[in-house]
Amino acid sequence: MIGQALSIVFHVAFVLMLAPLVTGFNRTLKARVQTRRGPGLLQPYRDLYKLLRKGMVIPDTASWIFTATPFVLFVSTLLASLLIPTISANAPLSMYGGVLAVVYLLALGRFFLALGGLDTGSSFGGLGSSREMTISAIAEPALMLAVFTVAIGAGSTNLSIVAQSALGQSWRFLAPSQMLAFAALFIVLIAETGRIPVDNPATHLELTMIHEAMILEYSGPYLALIEWAAALKQLVLMTILVNVFFPFGLSPDWSPGAVLFSLALFILKLLMLAIVVVVVEVSNAKMRLFRVPELLAIAFVLGALALVSTFLFQG
Amino acid sequence: MYSICRLYSAGLLIYALVALAGLAAHFRKTRAAWVATSLCCASTAAAALELCASVGALIAGEEFNWSLPSGLPFVHYGVRLDPLSAFFNLALSILAGCVAVYSIGYLRHGSAARRPGLFCFFFNLHLLALTLVFTASNIIFFLVAWELMVVASYFLVVTDHESSESRKGGLLYMLMSRGGTGMMYIGFLLLATAAGSMEFQALHGSGQTLSPVLGASAFLLLFFGFGVKAGIIPLHIWLPAAHPVAPSNVSALMSGIVIKTGIYGMARVFFDFYGVLPVWAGMLVLVAGVVSALLGVLYALMEHDLKRLLAYHSIENIGIILMGFGSALLFRSFGHPQLASLALVAGLFHTLNHGVFKCLLFLGAGSVLQGAGTRNMEEMGGLIRRMPWTAFFFLIGAIAISGLPPLNGFVSEWFTYQALLAGFGATPELTRVAFPIAGALLALTAALAAACFVKAFGITFLALPRSGNAERAIESPLSMKTGMASLALVCVLLGLGATWFVSIFAPITQRAFGVQITQQLVAGNSLLLTAGSVHNGSVSPLMLAIALIGLGAVPLVLWLALGRKSPRVTGPTWDCGLPGLTAANEYTATAFSKPLRMIFAALFRPRREIQAEFDISPYYPKVIHFESEIQPTFETRFYDPLLAGIMAIAARMRKIQTGSIHAYLAYIFVTLILLLLFGVRV
Amino acid sequence: MHFWQDSQFGNRMITLMAAIVLVLQIMMVTQRWLITNIRAFALQSFLLACIATTIAYYNNAPHIYAAAVFMLLVKAILLPVVFERLVTKIEIRQEIEPLINAPISVIVTGLLTLLAYVVAEYFHRPDEPMGPASLGHNTLAVAIALFLIGFFMMVNRRKALTQVLALLSLENGIFLAAISLTYGMPMIVEVGIFFDVLVAGMVLAILVYRIRETFDSMDVSRLSRLKG
Repeated sequence: MIGQALSIVFHVAFVLMLAPLVTGFNRTLKARVQTRRGPGLLQPYRDLYKLLRKGMVIPDTASWIFTATPFVLFVSTLLASLLIPTISANAPLSMYGGVLAVVYLLALGRFFLALGGLDTGSSFGGLGSSREMTISAIAEPALMLAVFTVAIGAGSTNLSIVAQSALGQSWRFLAPSQMLAFAALFIVLIAETGRIPVDNPATHLELTMIHEAMILEYSGPYLALIEWAAALKQLVLMTILVNVFFPFGLSPDWSPGAVLFSLALFILKLLMLAIVVVVVEVSNAKMRLFRVPELLAIAFVLGALALVSTFLFQG
Repeated sequence: MYSICRLYSAGLLIYALVALAGLAAHFRKTRAAWVATSLCCASTAAAALELCASVGALIAGEEFNWSLPSGLPFVHYGVRLDPLSAFFNLALSILAGCVAVYSIGYLRHGSAARRPGLFCFFFNLHLLALTLVFTASNIIFFLVAWELMVVASYFLVVTDHESSESRKGGLLYMLMSRGGTGMMYIGFLLLATAAGSMEFQALHGSGQTLSPVLGASAFLLLFFGFGVKAGIIPLHIWLPAAHPVAPSNVSALMSGIVIKTGIYGMARVFFDFYGVLPVWAGMLVLVAGVVSALLGVLYALMEHDLKRLLAYHSIENIGIILMGFGSALLFRSFGHPQLASLALVAGLFHTLNHGVFKCLLFLGAGSVLQGAGTRNMEEMGGLIRRMPWTAFFFLIGAIAISGLPPLNGFVSEWFTYQALLAGFGATPELTRVAFPIAGALLALTAALAAACFVKAFGITFLALPRSGNAERAIESPLSMKTGMASLALVCVLLGLGATWFVSIFAPITQRAFGVQITQQLVAGNSLLLTAGSVHNGSVSPLMLAIALIGLGAVPLVLWLALGRKSPRVTGPTWDCGLPGLTAANEYTATAFSKPLRMIFAALFRPRREIQAEFDISPYYPKVIHFESEIQPTFETRFYDPLLAGIMAIAARMRKIQTGSIHAYLAYIFVTLILLLLFGVRV
Repeated sequence: MHFWQDSQFGNRMITLMAAIVLVLQIMMVTQRWLITNIRAFALQSFLLACIATTIAYYNNAPHIYAAAVFMLLVKAILLPVVFERLVTKIEIRQEIEPLINAPISVIVTGLLTLLAYVVAEYFHRPDEPMGPASLGHNTLAVAIALFLIGFFMMVNRRKALTQVLALLSLENGIFLAAISLTYGMPMIVEVGIFFDVLVAGMVLAILVYRIRETFDSMDVSRLSRLKG
């Protein structure tokens, strides 16, 4: 009991601390690739600290939904991260909800975020909400197919069990179903975290923004919570990608030595994935909004192929 | 046994008495508010009695049979409370009770208020008929109750009969119901000839004794016959026409439970009257489910009439229920009773859940309609300030219907996903691909539903009011709030307490497949819901809810440590430097769903027209006229040709209608002779 | 024994590469840029060469090595280079305009893949012992899918050059089937086919150039004007 409580506290602290670092790494690396100096690795922490201490302006058109949104978003994303094997293959709360719960907890946060965008009464908020809900909706089938492929392979939707079964089979990630599901999920990651071909996290240009448009009216501590939740969501999806598909070194329990080793390896894998994301980001131009469905259709096809390939290659 | 029978009969009796009292009040022209109030209270009491009877029957897990005194020869009013009937009766009585409470306040205004007595008569007659539909124990009695229900609900739909929209909706409902009932009649007769009896008990497994062709035709007739009532696509067109025009408490009951009579009929036929069905049957149901779910939600997204939007969502949820039923049929065909019961539980649980949250949403829409005087979402906005409670309850309903944790919609959708996932391993045939694809489309449906309810809630309740009506909206009276609050509470309880609630399905699956599901689906000190076993996947809505609240400590600590002293001021929303933000700057419902209208343009075939008037330059228009509509594909592509065909045949049939009574008598005479000859030869 | 000497590992690699080959084929159906299409084809041919090399390695079959080298030289390097030059030379519009739009093409592709699976199921021998000799047998479904999708692409495309690409990817399917089932055809047939493909590719490239000279377009539907 105490052990579990400790593991939860440690897990929460770890993901909360790591999430801004991944964002910072992404930004710095992107800047370096574009031969800029970039803001530095620790800038997201400084931003969060500053925002949390600042005052805020609440729009006079807003209701309690506007206030509740940052909390619901933050808490649901944090809970989703507790269901995923991050440090140890045995995630602290994985019993209480598998991968479906993760997907739907993220959806809960998004639901409130979109309402928060509409609540301000500005056209930007509505625009962002509409686009966010559209893109997430059409990303969902690809996400589910990829998730299903993994779950069917392991015979479970519990991510800890999935990771453990992957640990047991050393070359499993080479199976075409795994690779294709990985590719599908990677496209979903790009779409869901608003990276470049789909959305540009660095722009405030009215016509192109999605996520930034929704949160335009947020300031101060609320904005900090939303930004932090966005970083956490990115971490959650990236963790699924690295730890479910490439679980090497993931500690099967919570013994200190194994945990340290698996932590180091986890961060390494995460950084490699972040590099891939950055490469995709700098080598593509942002798509028109109505081209995004085509990208997600490709993800859907990849997911479907992943599923089919489990019996396409018989023997 | 004895007490359950008594409770049940007492409930029925009260319904009947209240109906008669309403009729009496109507003819005595009593319009006082106390009439409606007392009658609605009495209906609530009857619903409570029915609730107790159903819960008792479910807990006992047995079958209770008895007869109502009929007073007519040859007619046997047999009543049976077996677990399946009791479950549907339970759903009915929960909704009926809440809607009756709501009606106390609702009947003070609107078209129903002009004839409260008559309304109460039809309302209680409707409840009586519904109870009988769920509990009738033979075909004749079932069909009598069914017809009574259709007639009563028709009169409820056309309560506002001064409006032509209402009459049209009612007529379409009646016509479609007739068609469906016709198919049911033939299907039931085929089954009854096989069993040699009209009793439901004798019909158990009788589908197996029919020849394959007859068995298949009876199955198809009953599926589509009940499908009309349930509103599966393409038999759905009456639903968005009839539900919005009815008074909102009636729409709540219609969407919540009346369309579920179709589901009840299917459950009865699929899992009681038929044994193992061929694979195509399950596949048909699964595909019908997927199509209904996806198209239902897509059409819902395009609506900006709040009640029509909700009506289309009923089609979507019927689709989700049928996905569960279809998988259950398939699993039974593949010989996996364990999985079949998982899928059946998913379908039945979603039936109840959808009843509860859809009822809640329709009641919320009714409050909005009464408060703001419009169904058009484009004229609403900002209602959360004027109607805080309605907004809160509607939000709970919206979260539940979007399938978000930890409310009840999430739990039943989770079961459906698990059933579909398990389907992939259930058979080595190629058909197994259908399961995960259906799962992916279910995910699309659920995500689109969430988008739709962001729109429904956001445009209706948030930001600035878009019309004077919305500005002057008033909150509903206490009774209406109570009705909604109790349903919202049920949503929460069914979500958090799902582990305790699923055991209620144990006797149903026990009878259908001989599988005890409680050990299978519940684990970990009744904290975990599992998909067959903990290894396959588990979820605990209660623990998720506790964890959500517990993790609230993190932002709290952050606030205490850092943000406590920071000022918090209110200011205007950023208006791009233009003078003042008005409602015209807000996103509209049409604009919100535009990206999806573009993406699914192949389905919607949207048409739009923009006319701008300008003085100097086209970039500075004075007036812009914008018009946009989508093509009602099913009406134009399917029903219009069908109607034209029927009209053409009818025109030809006219020739034999001479208008002469002698000719008609001659027709009857000839028919009689032909029948006699036929009878002699056979 | 190193892990890569185990034919199990070879089997995994072949399966993986075949999957990527299939993905590339589907990508070619949906891709709208001609240059990307040519590169996808080059990559596909390269992967096929790799598959052939893998099979050759585990079976110690020199003639398959030769086939792989031919594949690499002709279809992964020579033809793509020629095509890319052609594209830049005749300055055609870069966008492919298929007859059927992308989403429906994808659905058709999916159905064709399933059909390929059903056909391949016929030839499936589950009791076959695992080992070097059975390497690549499980890619038959992919080979048939490549063939069918290639054919579909030929039907679906307007411009001569893209049709040539489709034909070549169709031929890739035949190559995969041959290499994975029978360890390649006799050497002489193999060489013959490659020269055939090479010559066909060249002739078609020149033809495309001529069509374009004559009609100012590569749209083959304009050829209907040639009839009397």
